[in-house]
Amino acid sequence: MTFHRVGVEVDESRAVGVRTSRWRRLRPGDWVVRLGAIAVVLGVWELFGPTLNKLILRPPSDIFRAFFELIANGELQDAMGQSFRELFGGLAVALAVGLVLGVASGRWRFVYNAIDPLVSALYSVPSVALVPLIAVAFRSVGDAPRIATVALFAVFPILINTQQGVRNVDRQLLEVARSFNTSERRLWTDVILPSAMPYVLAGVRLAIGRGLIGMIVAEFFIGLVGLGYLIISYENVFRIDRMFVPVIVVATMGILMMGFVQWLEGRIAPWLKREQ
Amino acid sequence: MATPIRISVEHVTKRFASGAVTVFEALDLAVRDGETLCIVGPSGCGKTTLLRCMHGLATIDDGRIVIDGTEVRAPSRKVAMVFQHFGLMPWKRVRENVAYGLELAGLPKATVQERVAHYIEMVGLRGFESSYPNQLSGGMQQRAGLARALAVEPDILLMDEPFGSLDALTREILQDELLRIYQLAPRTMVFITHSIEEAIAMGDRILVLSARPARVRELFQVDIPRPRTVESVIAHPRFIPLRDHCWRLLRERAA
Repeated sequence: MTFHRVGVEVDESRAVGVRTSRWRRLRPGDWVVRLGAIAVVLGVWELFGPTLNKLILRPPSDIFRAFFELIANGELQDAMGQSFRELFGGLAVALAVGLVLGVASGRWRFVYNAIDPLVSALYSVPSVALVPLIAVAFRSVGDAPRIATVALFAVFPILINTQQGVRNVDRQLLEVARSFNTSERRLWTDVILPSAMPYVLAGVRLAIGRGLIGMIVAEFFIGLVGLGYLIISYENVFRIDRMFVPVIVVATMGILMMGFVQWLEGRIAPWLKREQ
Repeated sequence: MATPIRISVEHVTKRFASGAVTVFEALDLAVRDGETLCIVGPSGCGKTTLLRCMHGLATIDDGRIVIDGTEVRAPSRKVAMVFQHFGLMPWKRVRENVAYGLELAGLPKATVQERVAHYIEMVGLRGFESSYPNQLSGGMQQRAGLARALAVEPDILLMDEPFGSLDALTREILQDELLRIYQLAPRTMVFITHSIEEAIAMGDRILVLSARPARVRELFQVDIPRPRTVESVIAHPRFIPLRDHCWRLLRERAA
């Protein structure tokens, strides 16, 4: 990461995950492959896992049973309620901060120069290393430190992608807008924001993955609650079957939320998938 | 002689790269009311830059450009531009792209709708109102670009190599369309092109620029009567002499 980039230059390498249209829409055949791959992994695990290590590689059927045990005693629902409160709270904060700072730093050189070194530095440091700091800063009271951790993990992809989206706006379209005497407000709604939209949504997709990690990490380090606590506590007593339940819940959340963003993209950016 | 001047470029100098490159120097030209002035010149001679200056999209370093008695400083609503790159917003449907200039001008919704329908019909895009630009061919995209410019009913149309990126067949079809539209409602037009044939077909006068720094090599009348079609222009006995004349001017080195 360099700290001396000039404000007007465009550095596309930092904006990650902007998808190309060929991969945008899943075909029916894709689903066969996707579900088939999961089935193969589960099958191999079920058949050969226990022969490798009986204690740790508990077969999927055991995990399935543990799932219903944890629902029956209410632990899973409680933990999910707790964790999702943190996750959605943190993602909301990340979205608000990331969008505002991303737009501002994409548009104004002053803001860009003010925050870029900090953003680059914080983005380079493993976010995990900052979690104890957050715990101390928030005095470990309530959900606030965990929400802050999720936000820290999730904010950078949104911020950086939004910034790049705003800066990569097509100069030719800016000129068209000027040619037709646009107002500043209409310039944003007609040109800058729509053209940044795919970048922002790609940033959100990345933020979801990082946010889920942040959620579990926060629950490991700060207060021991939620799904993270379930993982740790059942690991400690070697109930690996139960330990895997929250892990799979987190993975499923990831899939569902990414799918939601993709669906959202189709709704708010329909021009992207209409290529011939 | 009596035709009033709409655009007057007076002693205009434009430099690039903080003064190191002179695009044109002390350039003078005038565009008459209702005429199509075609500007041809070697590539890189600053034709497009000149057009952008006329529209107020680029600043000039010396001299002045006057449209209808007012010095050009920023784009005016009386002038509309058609871009070589079409310049359509990918996230707007054809209907919304054509409505763009009208909405910015703050016209009432009913007027916008009526004009959009009218000009979409005129450029032959009926049935494609709800398409996104990337669903259209290049030729159809430029039809939309043309409709967007015509819809604001500008006094002056600036055409920046509008058909330059289209294939030969599509280009000819659109040239005919534009000739037809012009004949419906003649308006002052400045038309940049690198095609001599196009300049002869579209222009009432042709301005030939030299290589950079651009100077006026020659300005001459296209004495082929309207109404025209591309075919009728090519078949006209004046076509070959005009084309050869243009070629000679462009081939000669400026010096």
